[in-house]
Amino acid sequence: MAGYVLRRLFLILLVLFAVSLLVFTITSILPASVAHLILGPFAPPEQVKALELKLGLNDPILVQYWRWATRFMMGDFGESMLMNRPVAPLLAEAVQRSATLGICAFVLIALIGVSLGVIAALRHNRPLDHAISIATYLGIAVPEFFWSIVVILVFAAYLGWLPASGYEPLSAGFSVWLKHLVAPTITLVFAHLAHVSRLTRSSMIEVLASPYVTAARAKGLPERIVVIRHALRNALLPTITVLALDIGRLMGGIVVIETVFAYPGLGRLLVFSIQQRDLPTLQAAILVVAAIFACANLCADLLYAWLNPKIRYGRTVA
Amino acid sequence: MGELSLESTAPALPRRPMPAQLKAGLAIVGAIVLLSLLAPWIAPHPWDTISIRTRFLPPSTTYWFGTDDYGRDVLSRLLMGGRLSLAMGIGATGISVLFGVPVGLIAGYFGGKVDEVLMRIADVLMAIPAIMLGLLVLAVTPPALWKTAVAVGFVYVPLIARVARSVTLGLANVEFVEAARARAESAVHILFREILPNAWPPLIVEASLRVTYAILLGSALSFLGLGAQPPSSDWGLMISEARAFIDRAPWIALAPGLAMCLLVIGINLIGDGLRERLDPRLKSQIARV
Amino acid sequence: MALSIEGLTICYRVPGGTITALSEVSLFVPKGRTLAVVGESGSGKSTVALAVMGLLASEARIPAGRILYEGANLLALSPDARRRLRGAHIAMVFQDPFSVLNPSLRIAEQVGEGLVYHKGFSKQAALARATQLLHEVGIGEATAVGNAYPHELSGGMRQRALIAGALAAEPEFLILDEPTTALDVTIEAQILDLLEELKRRRGLSILFISHNLGVVRRIADEVAVLYAGEVVESGPTVEVFERPLHPYTKGLLAAIPRLAARQARLAAIPGRLPDLRQLPTGCRFEPRCPFAQAPCQKPQTLRGMSGTRTVRCVRAAELASAPWPELGAPPPLPPRRASLDTPAVVATEEVSKTFTLNRGLAALTFEGWRPAIRPVRVRAIDGVSLTIARGEVLGLVGESGSGKTTLGRAILRLINPDGGRVLIAGEDITRTPQAALAPMRRIAQIVFQNPDSSLNPRKTVGEIIARPLQRFAIVPAGEVANRVHALLDRVRLPAHYVDRYPHQMSGGEKQRVGIARAIATDPQFIVCDEPVSALDVSVQAAIINLLADLRDRLNVAYLLISHDISVVAYLADRIAVMYRGRIVENGASEAVLAPPHHPYTEALLSAVPTITRADHDRIRLPLEARHSSKTTGCVFARRCPRRIGPTCDTDAPPVRQAGPGHSVACHLPFASTNQ
Repeated sequence: MAGYVLRRLFLILLVLFAVSLLVFTITSILPASVAHLILGPFAPPEQVKALELKLGLNDPILVQYWRWATRFMMGDFGESMLMNRPVAPLLAEAVQRSATLGICAFVLIALIGVSLGVIAALRHNRPLDHAISIATYLGIAVPEFFWSIVVILVFAAYLGWLPASGYEPLSAGFSVWLKHLVAPTITLVFAHLAHVSRLTRSSMIEVLASPYVTAARAKGLPERIVVIRHALRNALLPTITVLALDIGRLMGGIVVIETVFAYPGLGRLLVFSIQQRDLPTLQAAILVVAAIFACANLCADLLYAWLNPKIRYGRTVA
Repeated sequence: MGELSLESTAPALPRRPMPAQLKAGLAIVGAIVLLSLLAPWIAPHPWDTISIRTRFLPPSTTYWFGTDDYGRDVLSRLLMGGRLSLAMGIGATGISVLFGVPVGLIAGYFGGKVDEVLMRIADVLMAIPAIMLGLLVLAVTPPALWKTAVAVGFVYVPLIARVARSVTLGLANVEFVEAARARAESAVHILFREILPNAWPPLIVEASLRVTYAILLGSALSFLGLGAQPPSSDWGLMISEARAFIDRAPWIALAPGLAMCLLVIGINLIGDGLRERLDPRLKSQIARV
Repeated sequence: MALSIEGLTICYRVPGGTITALSEVSLFVPKGRTLAVVGESGSGKSTVALAVMGLLASEARIPAGRILYEGANLLALSPDARRRLRGAHIAMVFQDPFSVLNPSLRIAEQVGEGLVYHKGFSKQAALARATQLLHEVGIGEATAVGNAYPHELSGGMRQRALIAGALAAEPEFLILDEPTTALDVTIEAQILDLLEELKRRRGLSILFISHNLGVVRRIADEVAVLYAGEVVESGPTVEVFERPLHPYTKGLLAAIPRLAARQARLAAIPGRLPDLRQLPTGCRFEPRCPFAQAPCQKPQTLRGMSGTRTVRCVRAAELASAPWPELGAPPPLPPRRASLDTPAVVATEEVSKTFTLNRGLAALTFEGWRPAIRPVRVRAIDGVSLTIARGEVLGLVGESGSGKTTLGRAILRLINPDGGRVLIAGEDITRTPQAALAPMRRIAQIVFQNPDSSLNPRKTVGEIIARPLQRFAIVPAGEVANRVHALLDRVRLPAHYVDRYPHQMSGGEKQRVGIARAIATDPQFIVCDEPVSALDVSVQAAIINLLADLRDRLNVAYLLISHDISVVAYLADRIAVMYRGRIVENGASEAVLAPPHHPYTEALLSAVPTITRADHDRIRLPLEARHSSKTTGCVFARRCPRRIGPTCDTDAPPVRQAGPGHSVACHLPFASTNQ
């Protein structure tokens, strides 16, 4: 087990390193002229030259990368071109806000999605299953940004219960803070529930058909015990993998949701930095996202390894 | 009594009907494709003519889905936009299949170092959530719809490669492939004549589902302004532009949204129907008693 | 009667019709006795077990019949009442111990859970009792095993644990569905011993389901033979096996290769099962029966014969003493030409292959606090030397983990050996690059075990057989079709099969296509890797006969790999016995099958359940084979009942000649194994 953990950690570091290379390559090498990208195609040549000097764009690529990487690891994420502020604290704030949103949504998705999936599997091929299946089918077909429009339409425009956008910090009052959080959270949950529910359902159906479940029934155990003790335990393992994958999609969803709801989190920062060609912020944001995603996957892997006896106890006893 | 005389009468299996899902899916998607292809000819009004007088008209008999903030007929724009969404879906998926399947086949068949390297590269690309990778790629170049399709295709290459690889792994050690190696067949022959013909059913199913993801991702990128540009009637862009008027004229956003749902549901039905049809044929038909 | 099944009929709805799995089946299990239900695939025997347990699939319908247990009709009980019977009164042991245990629960928990729900035990009490039960089923380290997870145990251990779990709530009736099919024969023998003892000690009534007549002979008091969902014969086991009345039973018994008496030719049952969706009104066996006459077209009923015997055959009385006819003997062939002076077509010298189960970082573990890389290595084959002459059949016998499959593949360079040499037709091919092996591949081919996966499902039979012809340009393009027809004829398949796809054929037919593919290039040597293990007994005989004929006509050598020593004994000129990667005995068949032996061969031979041999003292091997630490001594020493002493553990056993061409690797002097 310890070997497993170390291996995964090592791989993650490797991957993050490669991601940093990727990000740097795309943002610094791909565009024909980075300075023109930032300043626009019609910028006067003196400005372009000045910018190139300032950003050290005339140095060899490897030197640029090294400079960037070492500074990054020290915590200096550079300065935002747009806001003329250091990126790091900007990013920290944004991450905090997105984290609130993301974690609330994730918890709800996990609880509701898995429950729906398990229920649908237990009532396999009966009306409740069909109802849930149809609902989830619709769920995966609707794009996130559409859900957000619908939510705004229903809850903000018609019912007036929730504000259509914006964000208030906790300091402004708990209920106000909560109100601004609800609409984006609901939208995220609606958008991702279906996927988790469907995958849980098929995993559960597969487990319910497996020989050891039949054997458990053959022992005359009450159905409740068969489902919880035998089926669920084994069906939940692949569900962890599914949820881990879903974190990535959730993070992607946050980008769109935050844009629609003008929620000042990481996603919105990312979109802004792209629209404004704010390269340092863009580079830092993507790398932070990749790091968070990698950590989330690592936690999921470790949880899976912990729960799966085959990995936790590898050796042969008798 | 010869040993062969009676083994020759294998019971004929009834021809299984096309699953209902497949029929429904083909019907829906077929209708959308048809309408989109014929759009320039059947659209009731020009899709890009600005007319101040006809702004924000609710759905009526002249304008079935109403008009938008520039007075353009939503239905006509919808029909034209359909072509863009279909092109996005098929184009992007085409790219990811074109690059992803060979990579997956090679990684799965040859294994070893080749597999390790290819999968690590895939890991790196998948370490960034899809939409963000797309954003990253599109950030460095002025936006255009075709570039979005390429970006989306690129984003999904590692996913398709993974699927192709796992299918290939499942087949690489099957006995009839070993039999081919026992005939000194070349790797090319084995990949294309033994493995691929058996690998394509799950790949087709995966590809068809991937089309829906491509359409959704592509329109999300357009929604964010990094794909189609005005005055294009790409559905994602339409929804994005309609946001400002959501309370005044909800139909501008609802029409493309519902259209997209319909298209995605249709393609999903096709994918599910294909899975029903293609998979069971490989399994034994007679129940073991 | 402990259990009476009366007139049970079960149907399944499937796309394309209704399958009648059982037709008015009646079976009786007396108290304290064992009834075996015998049949091949499609006979319905597993359905009987599931019906008694109440675990049939939801598509099943029971239009008629009763199942009486202790007087009560199980089918009339409520689901809850039936559930309470399960485990506490009627318990079941399933076939495959590998998938029937919950991978996430410890063994003791799974063994004891029945007690918690049926007898109201507390968790601790249940665990304690579980450990006792594990001990009762012969597991030495009961506590350690109880704490382990299923994946940490070997097959025999798992099956013992399953039996313990079934007995936990003290049922009176036990159903066993092919409990030893997935196990090695030496382990099977242990499990059968265990079952006999448990039955005696606890007074169990047992319903035993199997296709293996040898096992049935050993363990069952009464037997019922099922065919296509009907009971065709029943009665006391010994009587049914010694004087079978129904033609199907006669055919089954005639199709089994016997160790004790080597037959000239095995009798095969031609044809295949009737379509269970459209059953004939007359005798269901009639199309395949060599004794069929006009009265057989009418519906057959079960008639009582002498004693408790019943038979479903209108001609049973007159055919009572008629044996199953041997298939028309093939025309006399020139005498077998396997001689020792022709150069060997295959020779291996000290071939070895070691597999590393994890590589690089995956092998990282911690010893205390220090990191270390400890890859797990398995020596699949360890210094194997053997030769096969032209036209000779060498049978390679061994159980799981012996390395026999690896050896077959290593000889053909489908796996690359780590050490030693492999020579084919005199040429050393050990290090030849794969690209240069084409000429060797033409003369050395392979037949695989599993008919379902050895043929490409997307190719027709014609394409499958034609491919080797095209690849090696055996005949010009225009001649290929003719040659394919000739090959189909050789393997006794009709010519119109050329357009068939594998999923349209039966297991036996697919295996024939695999054989046709292998002989297409006119090879000198074929590795037959468990060619009949995946087939029903009646079909096995036909394939074995085919292999024998081809050997004679084509003068091709076989390496016949099998775990079933009876099959090997029938076909092979010489036998090599493998254990944990080494050849422990090698010689002519008659020599190996008769003493003096290697102790492992001795144990293997005595463990094989046969139809004819009465119970006599059997040799039992303790523990099981597992890949564990290397040893400088004999690999068999840990389990050897004849172990002399420390010499066996430290010194490699010398290879000694027990007779001309008969070598045994053992420290024991031969006189002591001569019984």
